[in-house]
Amino acid sequence: MTIEQLNSSKLPIIVIDKRLEQFRDKVLFPEKLEKANEILSKAGLPNRKK
Amino acid sequence: MPIRFKIKSIEFIKIINVIEFTKASEGAKGSVKKMVQFSDTGTENVYNLAFGDYNQATNSINDLSVTNNGDSLKVLATVASTVYAFIEKHPNAWIFATGSTNVRTRLYRMGITNNLVEIKEDFEVYGFSQTSVWEEFLVEEDYEAFMTTKKQNIS
Repeated sequence: MTIEQLNSSKLPIIVIDKRLEQFRDKVLFPEKLEKANEILSKAGLPNRKK
Repeated sequence: MPIRFKIKSIEFIKIINVIEFTKASEGAKGSVKKMVQFSDTGTENVYNLAFGDYNQATNSINDLSVTNNGDSLKVLATVASTVYAFIEKHPNAWIFATGSTNVRTRLYRMGITNNLVEIKEDFEVYGFSQTSVWEEFLVEEDYEAFMTTKKQNIS
């Protein structure tokens, strides 16, 4: 695939790096996840009605 | 700056399941690997998006480090573009994001604002307001966190 094709693609082109398998089940950003869960438990999801 | 900025090389990386990507930040400080993680939250179909610098020497992540490569908006755009790829795999997903500091949260807000027209072609965007409620993202409004999902997930 050429750079021109990449740049015209709407979706980013992803290349898998097997080295990242070591992080598969690890939470790398626990404080942010905690904050997310705190807000979600407090406020839930946004109103889905348009 | 458009989200789908021109790229010169392919450096996106991911793993399946909890999908993660890295992208190098290139500048005066050299090349710094960034890692993005979409983590399951306790809420079904809601994922927490977070990213930080990947230190290969210590095999650790730091989301408070300041890369100072002068390309923070480019990095942010790269991270945002991973949302497109993630949503492709998980079309019903809601993505939650917040900055590790208030300054970073404002940077995210700026990034969303600068690309809002393009983002809203495919996604709905919400901000978690100072009054602790989710509201449709408004330009210039301060938010503590953000959520996005595909338009088709909104009834």
